Amino acid sequence: MTLRTAGRALRPAGRAAALAVAATAVVFTATELLPGDAGELRTAGRASDEDVAAERERLGLDRPAAVRYLDWLSGLIRGDLGHSLAGGKPVATLFAERLPATVVLVAAALAVTALLTATALTVAYLRGGRGGSAATGLAAVPQPVHAAVLGAVLAGLLGWLPPVSLLPPGGSPLADPRLLALPALTLALPSAAFATVLLRGALADTLRRPHVADARLRGLPAPLVLHRHVLPFLYAPALQVTALLAGGLVAGTALAETLFGYPGTGQLLVSAVAVRDVPVIQAAALLPAAVLLLGMLLADLAARRTTVPGGPGPSVATAGRTV
Amino acid sequence: MTGAPPPFFPKAVRPSVSVTAALTLLVCVPLGRYAAPHPPERTVAAPWAPPGGRHPLGTDVLGRDVLSRVLAGGTQLLTVSLLAALAAVVCGAGLGLAAGWSGDRTARTVRALCDLLLAVPALVLALVLATALPGATAVVVAAVLAGAPLTARVVATQCAQLRDSGHVHAAVERGERTPAVLLHEVLPALRRLVAADAGLRLVTALQIAAALAVLGLGPQPPDPDWALMLSENLPGAALNPWALLAPAIPLAGCAWVFAAAARTAARVPGEAA
Repeated sequence: MTLRTAGRALRPAGRAAALAVAATAVVFTATELLPGDAGELRTAGRASDEDVAAERERLGLDRPAAVRYLDWLSGLIRGDLGHSLAGGKPVATLFAERLPATVVLVAAALAVTALLTATALTVAYLRGGRGGSAATGLAAVPQPVHAAVLGAVLAGLLGWLPPVSLLPPGGSPLADPRLLALPALTLALPSAAFATVLLRGALADTLRRPHVADARLRGLPAPLVLHRHVLPFLYAPALQVTALLAGGLVAGTALAETLFGYPGTGQLLVSAVAVRDVPVIQAAALLPAAVLLLGMLLADLAARRTTVPGGPGPSVATAGRTV
Repeated sequence: MTGAPPPFFPKAVRPSVSVTAALTLLVCVPLGRYAAPHPPERTVAAPWAPPGGRHPLGTDVLGRDVLSRVLAGGTQLLTVSLLAALAAVVCGAGLGLAAGWSGDRTARTVRALCDLLLAVPALVLALVLATALPGATAVVVAAVLAGAPLTARVVATQCAQLRDSGHVHAAVERGERTPAVLLHEVLPALRRLVAADAGLRLVTALQIAAALAVLGLGPQPPDPDWALMLSENLPGAALNPWALLAPAIPLAGCAWVFAAAARTAARVPGEAA
């Protein structure tokens, strides 16, 4: 690798690192808004003021916020996520227990999303790049609605799937893929619609390029035009959208896992919010941000290798966002 | 285009289906409570009874009338979403006008802010905020933090272009002060853009509000609420699927109509879909 390419690779990496640090600041600030703190939570309101103060001092909560932030950040870098306030287990252990289930769920959702998006875009291509508003509407529909309609139809009216995805403790979601179906579809439907909306624009732009019209006029068959003249322009946006979706899907697991009782990190975040377990909340909130930033970085680096001259710039990713 | 007869309505006032539908929904949903045949909070029959008889959509987890709860259940959701969207648009448009008017450096700051807030998904932000704030406040704050930078970026770009247009130059030469120029010359030219953006912010706010409500961080149980009904009635999907579908349909309908209205408002008049 020459010095120049190394420099070009380092720039986005530096940007991603800066954004990652900024994301930790956002999360830390948001959790700082809590009225009570761990000292009160751990003594559960039964202790005297002196006991609460002693507990606070033991946990280091009497130090200024900036010091605690730097302390937490350096712990994050070392891989030390702190200890849960409820139960006292290391946060890293809690995550290690639940991460595999979430990874399987997100991977399944991403695969279904890719399949649905590819189908929708093929239809859009065959119709000459003109798209209906169905994808826009479907992407706007809140995720709980997707969950409820899928549950009512697949588990209720048809009875094909169990309405809750309770895994046995330590069990693998791969042992019974039926448990995976409802949460994965709930995640995949809105994100496929979202991806279609984002990529349809890139597709329409590509189809308007003169070389595509030229290839068609030369009488090349449609699949060949697609493969040779259209798809190369869609790789870079597709990679960026994938990174955006991966972050959004990890965030969406909070809903899908909680609704269907699927034991992953999203459910961990929601239950930590319910009991105000700050160290767990902080770590769980950073997970989607980390996936998003890492994905964007990889997409950025990959796009530099595959971008065709005059192709679309890195603009798709910020055009919209998932909730 | 040249051979077509002139349209009956002038373009500017031709009613658009989706915008009319969106405004109708915003007016009618809060009135639904008064059409409810039963008190929405009271148990009137056995839990999860199928549709029929006095309960056209059956009953829910606690034997309450689903139709009544659906009719009464949209007000809080739409009010909170509307407030959140309004706050996001006002903050975003203000920031965007300031950034677009004052040039490069502020615009770069706004772009950096966008990137930063893009890194933390809105749902996660709302969840973290909900630990400290009441549900409705968390929705508003999350919608502002997640939406205002996007609004600001769009408005800033357009505002920077408008700064060089004739009518703005004329106003500046007349000696009008900057806030007056922005309010009377720039903002009216951006109204279509801001209206479309408001539609998108409303959709996002609705998504955040629905998500928090489903996770139990919004309206609390006896209250009828479309989103809360979804999580309450999911375990009974096999017994009375209508307890799930009935609140899902208006919630999806609202989001769909708002998104369509935003698309319509964004379209330049005279340009085909």
